[in-house]
Amino acid sequence: MSIEGIFREGFVTTSMDTVINWMRTGSLWPVTFGLACCAIEMMHSGMARYDLDRFGIIFRASPRQSDVMVVAGTLTNKMAPAMRRVYDQLAEPRWVVSMGSCANGGGYYHYSYSVVRGCDRIVPVDVYVPGCPPTAEALLYGLLQLQNKIRRTSTIARR
Amino acid sequence: MSAKLERLSQILRIVLDGRLRSLAQDRGEITIEVGAEDYLAVARTLRDHAELRFEQLADLCGVDYSAYGNGKAACEPGRRFATVLHMLSIEHNWRLRLKVFSIDDNFPVLDSVCDLWPSANWDEREAFDLFGIMYSGHTDLRRILTDYGFVGHPLRKDFPVSGYTEMRYDAETERVIYQPVTIEPRENAPRVVREAGYGDTGHV
Repeated sequence: MSIEGIFREGFVTTSMDTVINWMRTGSLWPVTFGLACCAIEMMHSGMARYDLDRFGIIFRASPRQSDVMVVAGTLTNKMAPAMRRVYDQLAEPRWVVSMGSCANGGGYYHYSYSVVRGCDRIVPVDVYVPGCPPTAEALLYGLLQLQNKIRRTSTIARR
Repeated sequence: MSAKLERLSQILRIVLDGRLRSLAQDRGEITIEVGAEDYLAVARTLRDHAELRFEQLADLCGVDYSAYGNGKAACEPGRRFATVLHMLSIEHNWRLRLKVFSIDDNFPVLDSVCDLWPSANWDEREAFDLFGIMYSGHTDLRRILTDYGFVGHPLRKDFPVSGYTEMRYDAETERVIYQPVTIEPRENAPRVVREAGYGDTGHV
């Protein structure tokens, strides 16, 4: 049986992985986790000019409703257990975007007694966005890179 | 030197008299120093005396003098930890800086002024947290800024910038844990070249 004539009936054929990845990349809901000035740039990318909504990226107030966490700012020792708890509350599949120098590796506060030298010491990170703070475009680019990364994964097909 | 500051200096000299250790007037500001034993009484006088009326405490902070002036300042005992108060008299439009040194350098204690100015509560907690100065009479002397269970007082000059511990997630116990610092200590004091006597006010 051929698929000729089926398109006209309103059917398309595709793989399950493609559909799953299309859904996942099209509705990346980040949990709001602003820690410092990077959070201001994160808000900029969410507002009208860059408008993350058009990528289906909608900020949520609860980790239970989210897929991705944008660690935006300096992660201090005092905040680290709280951030880990938020990460643990994210439902699988989950991703982490580390935004800015401080979250990437401590940045300006690398030698400080009270700052975690990179949030990857606390949670696994998928995408690092450099900058101090990164511009809204940079964060947007990072999130698009995360989408590309998700597209490469396959949930069902064994490769 | 304005007449107003001169008048405030005279009133302070008269009212505080023997309790006044030093009075310095510099850059249009007045700094007085009193002994730790007179501190609470002096603070009360500054607040309540009709000629002074410093009803607002703008700031209270600790100072560690152990490295000040290449260590000259802290040579004598009882000159390491100071508590500095900035106060404002709204009634007279006066400002004043009050400095008190704790007597014991190894266990700095001072009376709390929380009862006089409630704003001192968190300021004293901060000075306790960062310098380890105890304020006797404070009702709730907990750390305010550093991590829960933090050891040491980070703004002391003998506290290394990188601290003694750092944090990471431990996958086995599934929790965030402290471990000894793994990075090399770094000297990041800026190299500053200034003419001799720069910033020397003639008083500590």
